[in-house]
Formats: sequence, C-alpha cells, structure tokens
Amino acid sequence: MAVFALRRLLSAIPTLLIVTIIVFAMVKLLPGDPARLILGQEATPQALAEVRRSLGLDRPLPQQYLSWLTGAVRLDFGTSLTDNSSVGRLIAQKLPVTLELALFAMLISLLISLPAGIISAVKRNTWVDRALTLLALSGISLPNFFLGILLIYLFSIRLAWIPASGYTSLLENPGRNLLLLLLPAITLGIGSAAVLTRYLRSSLSETLTQDYVRTAHAKGLSVGQVTAKHALKNALIPFLTAFGLQLGGLLGGAVITEQIFSIPGFGRLLVDAVFTRDLPVIQGVVLVSAVAVFLVSFLVDLGYAAVDPRIRYH
Amino acid sequence: MRKLSLTRSLTLLGLSLTCAALTSPASAQTLTVGLDADPPRLDPALSTALVDRQVMNQIFDKMVDLDANLKVIPALATSWKVTNGGLVYTFKLKTGVKFSDGTPLDAAAVKYGLDRNRTLEGSARKNELASVKEVKVIDAQTVQLTLSQPYGPLLAVLTDRAGMIVSPTAAKKAGADFQNNPVGSGPFTFVSRVRQDNITLNANKTYWGGAPKIDKLVYRPFPDGDVRYANLLSGAVQAITPIDPKDISKLTENAKFSVLNYPGIGFQGVWFNVTRAPFNNKNLRQAVAATIDREAIAKSIFYGTVTPAAGPFPPGTPAASSAITVQKPDIAAAKKKLGGKPLSFTLLTTPGSVTTQLAQVYQAMFAQAGITAKIEQVEFGTLLDRADKHDFDALMLGWSGRPDPDGNIYDFFVTGGSNNQAGYSNKTVDSLLSKARAQNAMAARVATYNVALGTILSDTPYTWVYYQRNLVASVKGMTGLKPIPDGILRFKDVDLK
Repeated sequence: MAVFALRRLLSAIPTLLIVTIIVFAMVKLLPGDPARLILGQEATPQALAEVRRSLGLDRPLPQQYLSWLTGAVRLDFGTSLTDNSSVGRLIAQKLPVTLELALFAMLISLLISLPAGIISAVKRNTWVDRALTLLALSGISLPNFFLGILLIYLFSIRLAWIPASGYTSLLENPGRNLLLLLLPAITLGIGSAAVLTRYLRSSLSETLTQDYVRTAHAKGLSVGQVTAKHALKNALIPFLTAFGLQLGGLLGGAVITEQIFSIPGFGRLLVDAVFTRDLPVIQGVVLVSAVAVFLVSFLVDLGYAAVDPRIRYH
Repeated sequence: MRKLSLTRSLTLLGLSLTCAALTSPASAQTLTVGLDADPPRLDPALSTALVDRQVMNQIFDKMVDLDANLKVIPALATSWKVTNGGLVYTFKLKTGVKFSDGTPLDAAAVKYGLDRNRTLEGSARKNELASVKEVKVIDAQTVQLTLSQPYGPLLAVLTDRAGMIVSPTAAKKAGADFQNNPVGSGPFTFVSRVRQDNITLNANKTYWGGAPKIDKLVYRPFPDGDVRYANLLSGAVQAITPIDPKDISKLTENAKFSVLNYPGIGFQGVWFNVTRAPFNNKNLRQAVAATIDREAIAKSIFYGTVTPAAGPFPPGTPAASSAITVQKPDIAAAKKKLGGKPLSFTLLTTPGSVTTQLAQVYQAMFAQAGITAKIEQVEFGTLLDRADKHDFDALMLGWSGRPDPDGNIYDFFVTGGSNNQAGYSNKTVDSLLSKARAQNAMAARVATYNVALGTILSDTPYTWVYYQRNLVASVKGMTGLKPIPDGILRFKDVDLK
C-alpha cells in the first residue's frame, strides 16, 4: 500500500508541472495587460512601462516562469500584482474557507443522496422512485445562482433566521461559522446530491438484479439486510467516483455560490485574479487546487479498496 | 421513531445555531457598507479604482476638499494663495494635526506625501501632479508648490488622491506594503482587511475635526447588484452604493429604507475609432450619434435615474453650458448622412445585465436608420487592451468624472491622451485644451473648454448618452450623509440610530 501511495504521489509531479505550464501560457495568451488593469483608464504610456518594470513583466516569459517555479518549490508563490500581499498568505487565508464549505456541502449532499438513491433503487419504477427522480432532475437543472438567491430571500429576508452573507472562521465562533455556511452549503449540496442520487440509483438497481442478491433473498434475508449488507457495498464504486469528482470540483472554488453569499474563498480569489491578470495568484490557486483534486482522487482510490475487497493494490 | 429524533435534533441544531448568531456581539455603532467591488489598492499614490477612494477618504485627510456645489473648501490647508501668474501655490496648514500613529502632520509630512505621489515608482498620480516642479517647506505650517507651467485644475486635483497625505513614518516603514496597512490622519483608522470579504476601520477618537459618531466602519464588496440589495434588505449591511436602477422604486417605497439620489460628475457614451473604416468618416459617426434617443434610454433602461447627456460636463459642474443641448434623435438626418450606403459595424462592450440591455437598445435605435451593429462582449481587461490598440469600430465606455472640467475632457480628446480611445487628433482642439489648462480664472477656462467642445461635438469621436447619478440606499436610521457630487461617501458626520 505504501509503495502504491508513493508511486501515485510521484506520478502527480509531472501532471502538476504541466498544469502550471498550461495555466502560465493561457494567462499570457489572454488579451489584457496586468499593468493596464492596475492603472485602469488613467494609464499613461510612461506609467505603464514603469509598472511593468516594477512587476517584472518586462522580463522574458521563460525567465518569469522559472523564477515562479523555483519559488513555488520552496512554497514561496510570490506576491500578488494587485496589492503586493503574499500569495502564500492569501492561499492560507482562503483554502480553509473553501475546504470547509466543500466538506459541509458534500456532507449535506451525502445526507440527501444516500437515502434517496437507495430508496429510488429499491422502489424502482414505483411512484416513490418517479418522485425522487423528478426531484433529482430539478436539483440538477436548478442553477446555483437561482437557488442561492431563493434561499437568501426565504431564510434571510422573509424569515430573518440566517444572515444573508459573510464568513466567520470556525475557530473564532463555531456557531456563527456553521450558520453562515449553512445556506451556501445547501445550495452546493443540493446540486451535487441530485447527481449522486442518480448515480447511486443506477448502480444499485443494477446490483440488485444480480444472482448473488437473488440468492441472498432466497436465504430469507430481509430487503434491508440484502440491500445494506450485500448490494450497497458493490454499488458504491461508481458513487464514490462521482463523489470524488464533485468534491474535487468544489475544491477549486464554487465561484457563483461564493459570489452570492460573499464567502471569501478560492473561487472569488481566482475570479478576481483572472480579471486583473494577477498571474502569481492564478498560478498559486490553480496549483493548490490541482494538488487538492489529486489528493481527493487518491483518497477515492483508497476508498475503492476499503469498500470492495476484490480490489487490491500492490 | 428514529426519523422523528433525527428531525428533532436537526431542528435543535438549527435553533442553537440561530441563537448563537443572534447572541454574538454586534455593536449598534457599527456601520457596514456594501460596495460594488473590493477596493484593490488603499494607497493614494498607487490607487486607480474609484472604489478605493470610498475607503481612503475616511483614512486620509486631503489638502483641500469639495462641498456639495463642487467648490474647493479648506481641509488640511486652512487657506491658500496663488501667486506669480498661477505658478506658485502657498498653503497654510491646520495646526496640531496628528496621524493615527501619533506622528505630527506638519509641512514636512505634506511635502513627503506630495513628493511620494509625484515620484513613487508606479504612482498613478504622476500625470495629475506633472505640473508641480517643487514642493517646499516654508515653515512648520506652510507649504509652497512651484509649478513649471500654470495648471488651473491643481486645487481640484488636490481634493482627490493626489492631495491625500500619508504618514511618512508608516509609509517608509511599510514600503510596498503600505497599501495593506495604510496610515493617515482621517476620521477613521485602518484596522484590517480580508480580501474579497471586508475592510474594517475604527473611529479616530482624537480626530481634529471631532470624533465620528459611529465607532466602526466596515466595507464589504458585493459585485452583484441583486446580492447587494438582498444584503441591505436582510440587515447584513446598513448602506449600499450603487443601487441597480431596477431596485430604486422598490427601495423608495419601502418604509425601512431611504434612497439618496444626487447628480454625479461623470458621463457615459460611445467611442468611435477614427483611425480606421468605417468611422474614419465623420458623416458616419454623426449618423450613428443621430439615431440615439437619449431620453428614451434614461427612461426605459435606467428608470429615470440618469440624465440624458449633451457633452462631457454634467449640469451643476463648473463648465456645464446651457448652449450645448442634448441631441434629439433624427432618423431622417441620420439616413441623409449615410448617403444611401449601408453601414455595419461591431459595438464592443463588457458583459453585465445593464450594459447588455443598453447595447441591445442601441442596436435597435441604429437599425431604424438601416445601420447594422453587431454586439461583441468582452471582459473589462480585454476591452481596455483593444481600446489601447484601437482595435474596435465603436466602444461603450464612460468616465467616473473629476470635479475640474479638465479631468473630463483633456486626456480624452488631446492627441495621444491616455483616455483618447478614438485615436482622435485635432490641432485646434489640442491648443484650446492646453490653453484652458494654463488659464487660472475659471470663467476664462470654461469659455475655452466650450469652444473646444464645439469642434469635438461636430467631429464626433465620442457621443455622450447619459450622466450617471450617485445612488445610495441606507436604513432609515442612518443620517448625516452629505451628497457630494464626486460620489465619495464621507462618514465622519454619519450617525446610526
């Protein structure tokens, strides 16, 4: 297992390098000059040249990339072009926020999708299944910005139970932290739950038609026992894959949801950085997101082995 | 049974969370303001965004300030004298002023601040202070600025970032990081900022002009208008600016909120690229400008919250002239200018619901004269890039405005000006704009500007469509906000009941 883990970790390095090169090249290909965006409408050619020089943007591209890379290896991601603050510090500020939101959202998603998927599969083609399918499809089709605003309207404006926006750190005030993250987590969780419910339904339905399940029934086990002990474990593999993908997606930042609920997470940092062509911030955020996605998929791989003993890694 | 207990425990969890939130400490003296963007750089020298000024105005004192009629009034400078034909400005400073770090704000500090704005690498103030040759300390309370050539807009420029004085001790110590830890002598002091989340300021209890009435001022960015509005309704913030035009009437009718709606000093309109076809042809520019129904746009898209525009100087600003009137739509004249030839071009703009709507309305208005416009939407960075390269046919871009007329016209129409997106060049206009700059008496300058404007209007490198107004919504209990046309909210005298 340890050898497998090490091999997987090492194999990620070239992938991450390619990611940084692609991001660097893409940002450089975008029209729009960071110096121009910093100076805005008032830019004079002299001021532009001066800002470019002070930001090191007049150096050759490979040199800019290499100096960034050598810094990144030492965990020094440089400083933001916008306000000179350390990119490492910005990431350290935003990562816990996004991480917490993503985990909270996935928890909500699990709480919905596990029971809904199981019920849908066990009662497939009944009215219960159709109703759950309809709900799941609504969840998939409901855009985040609409659901978010709807929740704000209901819980913050009409009922005035939950503040409409903001963020307090978990260490500072755990109650307020969870309260403030509740609506955004529900917004994200519902969309993801809808997808996961469909995955679980389809894989569990298929498993339930297999011979060993019929044998289990024939042995006189109850539906609950057969489903929970025999079928569910085998049906969980595609569900886990989808779960990993959803979680990985959220770790890159949930841009729209963060915008609606004013959560200072990765998504907003990245969007602001793209709009201002703040390359060091973009590079730093993308690299950390890529590492996070890699770690999630790594954990999912380990999860396969845990739920399905037939899968062995050597 | 199990289900019931789960529901019950979830309800309890919800209730306890709500209680926790309600009992969390929240002072009545905290005022939270929702802005439309996260202020990028809180350094008077480096700032380039309008939204920076909202926050910096509370942290820093300026040499002079503006009143509601755009008159320059004393601030740090209690009086000033202009001598030598406008070449020497001598400022008497207020005594006993201290920065929030305890160091004195005297003539030496003013010299440091102005010189920093003039010379710091990457300073966006260099252009505004280009005419200043030297800043001299005469005595502890007197500063003298010597100009290389007379520059009429100087005082107006000092009412903005160019005139903000930073603490020399703090600025030297922080270096490039000063923007993340700004220290000034204003009515509020900087406490902290979390990017994309909040900027927190505390009242400066020892402020020379009297302590502010509120204890704490928090700025939070909400780029989306609906989200800003929802946060005001829910009580998360007590004031927002700007307001989306569609929400004005709802807020005006709501008894819990009041709306402050007062004129601004900026303009919005359309640039024509005169360096290439089709708009290197003056007749075609005039034809397009003639199709626009400015009244209809003000009414239908902005619900009357903007004023139709005639030129770069909004009503109420020093150079506004009643002789220059809003152009009425004239489709027949537009068709005549086209001379029976088809015209099609691309209209470049940014995304966003209001700009999209506006672009579509323009498109429909152009079509009445048989003009085909294709709308192309790119984000702001790309738009500026293409404007710089003159890579567009027509472009929707406006200006937040400056209190002195020079700030609304010079860089826009002088040959090679930094805001001259059209690539426009006219020797007569160049010499008139430079002449107005060098004049000292406002009446003479206004006359010169309006002569130049006559030529610009006829050449039509730009067509003005509307003047934006300043829109602020707040809870009813908030009082004391003065409507200063530069759109910057000054919170020193604001109270919250």
